[in-house]
Amino acid sequence: MTQKYLDYLMLVSGWILCIFIGLLGAVIIWKIFTGDIDLTQLISEPTGDASLSRFQFLIFTFVIALSLFLVIAAATPPHFPDIPGTVLTLLGISGSSYLVSKGIQYSDPSGTVNPAASDVVISPTQALVRYGQARQFGATVPRKPNSTVKWTVIAGGGTIDDKGLYTAPAAPAGVDPPPLQHATIQVTSDEYPDAHDLAVVTLS
Amino acid sequence: MSLLVRVIGWEVWVFLLALAAIVVVQMLNGHINTKSMLCGSDGSMMKNGGISPARVQLLLSTLGLALYYLVQVMTKPTAGALPEVPDSWPAMLGGSHAIYLGRKAYVRFLGMDGGKAKAKKHTQHGQ
Repeated sequence: MTQKYLDYLMLVSGWILCIFIGLLGAVIIWKIFTGDIDLTQLISEPTGDASLSRFQFLIFTFVIALSLFLVIAAATPPHFPDIPGTVLTLLGISGSSYLVSKGIQYSDPSGTVNPAASDVVISPTQALVRYGQARQFGATVPRKPNSTVKWTVIAGGGTIDDKGLYTAPAAPAGVDPPPLQHATIQVTSDEYPDAHDLAVVTLS
Repeated sequence: MSLLVRVIGWEVWVFLLALAAIVVVQMLNGHINTKSMLCGSDGSMMKNGGISPARVQLLLSTLGLALYYLVQVMTKPTAGALPEVPDSWPAMLGGSHAIYLGRKAYVRFLGMDGGKAKAKKHTQHGQ
């Protein structure tokens, strides 16, 4: 009687685990598709460049994960396989190479930050626009290329739409030639709200 | 119970393949950043169009070994054990990594900027 209850409990626990694993996997894949899990910097350094040591570590991780699964699934009943010493050596080389590479890189302060890199970059940073005319501005978010940004004119006249098209105000009436004035445009990344960039417009 | 094992097996299989496919596709379409992965950080690499031979050989040996091992697992599945790799493979991969790391350490500690700085320091001491 007790054995029967134990078997029943094992079966129920197994199905609960199965459903949990399935849902977890589905959620992870779904969040990657929707962009909530961002893979753009999967093998990137803080400097913005891709890292070969991270890439080779990623490849070995995938290969061993797939191989382990194939071998486990092939056994009847499934069980954790023996791992040969040479395979462990290969993994050790891959992992320690990654660590040494990071050690070399981080021994140099310039290897951890890129002064030129910013979370959001406006273009152009300066522009000459005639009164009443329009000028298109652009912005890129290097860490997340397809993310959205918010445009605002924080000083001076003119308006800017959500596509970055700046329209200068009309020239002051009765003054010829019209005086030079300045306006400042700010772009803010929706992804990184603390990061912004500025452009200065000279109105003529 | 066998049905449960099969379902879990399919779940893991689909998840791993989907994850691998997403990573490969995003690397190919540029969504995952691969910028400058094969470029050296020192100016001498610019002679080869910015490509570092030390990085290229590491990439090739890694891809070659990974492909070889996957083929071994898929064509000669051994129940209960991962397949062995030839004894020469760890030495080959270790050598490949040593070249890559050696080059990186040389550029960092003794390379162009470091060499210039040392030369300048020696000159100042000489004066």
